[in-house]
This record gives sequence, structure tokens and C-alpha cells, in this order.
Amino acid sequence: MSKAGYYDIDDILAVQERVPCVLQVDLDGLGSASGGGASKVYRNSRWTLPFWMADRLNEEDYVDMEVSPLFSKRANRMYAASPESVQLRSISQHFYQFGLQMGDLVPEIPHVLRNMYMQRVQKIARIAQQGQNTEAFDFVQSLDRTEARLLKQCQQAQGAIPEWQQNKAYALTKASAIP
Amino acid sequence: MAITTRQQEGFTMPELEYMAQCEDITIVPLHRMERLELMRGSVGPFRPPQKTQVPLWLAVMLKRSNRCRIVAPEWLSYEHLHTLCKREDQPDSMFTKLPLHYLEIAHILLTNAEDDLVDSQGVRRLIQDLREVRQSKTREGLRMLNSLQLQMDNLSIAEINEIRPLFAHSFDMLRRLDELAGTSDASRQQSQNLFADQSYSEFDDTFSSSYLNPE
Repeated sequence: MSKAGYYDIDDILAVQERVPCVLQVDLDGLGSASGGGASKVYRNSRWTLPFWMADRLNEEDYVDMEVSPLFSKRANRMYAASPESVQLRSISQHFYQFGLQMGDLVPEIPHVLRNMYMQRVQKIARIAQQGQNTEAFDFVQSLDRTEARLLKQCQQAQGAIPEWQQNKAYALTKASAIP
Repeated sequence: MAITTRQQEGFTMPELEYMAQCEDITIVPLHRMERLELMRGSVGPFRPPQKTQVPLWLAVMLKRSNRCRIVAPEWLSYEHLHTLCKREDQPDSMFTKLPLHYLEIAHILLTNAEDDLVDSQGVRRLIQDLREVRQSKTREGLRMLNSLQLQMDNLSIAEINEIRPLFAHSFDMLRRLDELAGTSDASRQQSQNLFADQSYSEFDDTFSSSYLNPE
């Protein structure tokens, strides 16, 4: 958490991702927080908390944080098996950012993410250069926020040279704010 | 002033074209003219039919007012580009050597001084071919992507600019992931430190400590 980009909006959104936790102490008067009506929650009951809260409480030993289902052993095997067909967007909008945050706690996450990112980035580069086709469409739909932004920037950069060669780079256009 | 995302990510093509206009080019003046004192130095005097070196923007200006003929650079001839194209097309070949601003210079000359080029249509086509071959090569180069370095010699500035966001962002992500992997297993970190990482972190340490303790 300390390494997070403080002003990075994606980092802030990424730590909203919920992780399962096991409570380590009895808490009085917080029953409503766990959804039940009881006034007291006992240790060893399970909560899912946003990562930013769980991380802090984990440090102070109030809860024991468990590995998010996003990076369970089974999920990791899936990422390793077919990196290009994983539907990252539906798993989490901020998949990589969250992975970077979790990486401190689970040693294999960086390796899993690295392999996946390498594979997917090459496909992103291919799409940016060759343009989208129907085969690529599904892949583009599966990109998480980080990858989607990368693809957009690559496409803009790729488009810049043809645009300039056709003398469109100098054309003044109406601002989008003007109707 | 508002900065668009495109400008944060590198240069825009008009900016690169502006930079390319400072490159020197040979012209044959058609009128007598005295020496010109410019900020970057003096050019001329112009004595037809003696060739002189002038910056590209001046050549274009003189060309527009019909005061000179531009001598096409050696690499911008049909034969030369044709051999380059062939060499570039061979499998496992490196990038061939071309001027840093070859795309921009070719574009400027093809729009402003088409009549001074031999077979301008052929040249235009070859430049486009060359660009496409090189583009597919940079794509191949992507396979070598890692978090330490990537070497592609003889890329022109426009081509670098084209792939800049991709490389900048993926390097950044890979570096962050490697850093994380490094903190989780020490042996990996050691092997990484053999490379540039060490000098950076040492520099950071001394810098931050001297910053914290001014004495």
C-alpha cells in the first residue's frame, strides 16, 4: 500500500477490490458491518473487505487477509494456460493494478502477471498495427483498463503518420465542446 | 496551455516535421543573392550555378518563390531506395541505415519539390514500401521485449515515436512487476542487481540521505 501511486486514480480504484478476510478478534457493536443483525461479531468469522481496509487491518492483526479469488491457485493456472483468452475485463476492471498491490503478499503473482502481460501486449501491438478485425474484437473486449488505455495510445501513435502524410495533421477542427 | 494526451506521449508529426526542416540540404540557386545571416549561422552567398548547403526550410522557401532547384539527397533516389528495400526485405536482416528524419524529409521534398526528383512517383511508392517493411520488423522486435533493454538500431525518429507509447508503458509495467518479484525472492533480485539497477538504487540512497542530512 505504501508504494501505491498516491495521486493515481487507477490505483485508488484498484484497491476497492474486495478480498476475503478472517477476523482475528471479537468486535463489539459491529454486527451490522458483517450483514447480520447481531451486535457482536466473533473471531474466525469471515468478512470480505475492500483491499485498502483489509491491508491496514491485516498489518495491525485485526484480520487475517486471504488471497483474493482473482489470484487463487486455480485462477493462476488458468492465466498461465491461455493468457490471450482470459476475460480480464469481466474479472476486474483494474486487474493489473490490483495485482501489483497484491504482489507483495503472494510471491507468485508477479510471475503470473508478467507472463500474461508479455503475451497480451504482443497481441495488443499487433492489433494496433493491423487494425481491428472480428477475431480481434473479442480480445479487445477482454482488455482490462490498463491494457485498453495502452491499445488506444498505440492506435493513436500508429495513426499519426498516415494522418500527417495525408495532410490531415494540420487541419483545424471544431472543439468537441462546441455543438 | 492544455496538453493533449498525444503530446504527453511523445512528439506530434508536425513537431517532427518542424525539426526535420533544420537539416541541411544542397540546392542550386537560380538567382544571385548575397550572404544571409541567420540565427544558426550564415548561408550563401548564392552564385548560380554553384551548389550550396542551406537548411531545408530555407530551401523550400526559395523553391516556392522559384529561386532555386533542390538537389535530391543521395538516399532519396529510386535506385538507392530500391536496393535498400531489397536488403530490408531479407529475413533476419538489421534495419538499414537511413537519415534520422528520412520520412519527414521525403515527405517535404515530395510535396514541395516533386519536379526536382527523378521518378517521384516511384520514390513515393518505395518510401511507403520501406516504411511498411520496417514496421513489420519493429513488430518482430517486440518479441524481445523485457524490462532491461531493447535494442533496435537505425530506427528513424518518426518510427520510434510511433512505438513509443507501447514500449514506454510496457517497460514500466514489466519493471514494476520485476521489482515486486525481486522483493519476494532475493536470488532473482541479486541477478537483476548485476545490471543497471544497482547503480540507480545506490544513487538514490546517497541522494536521499544527503537530502535529509544537509551537513
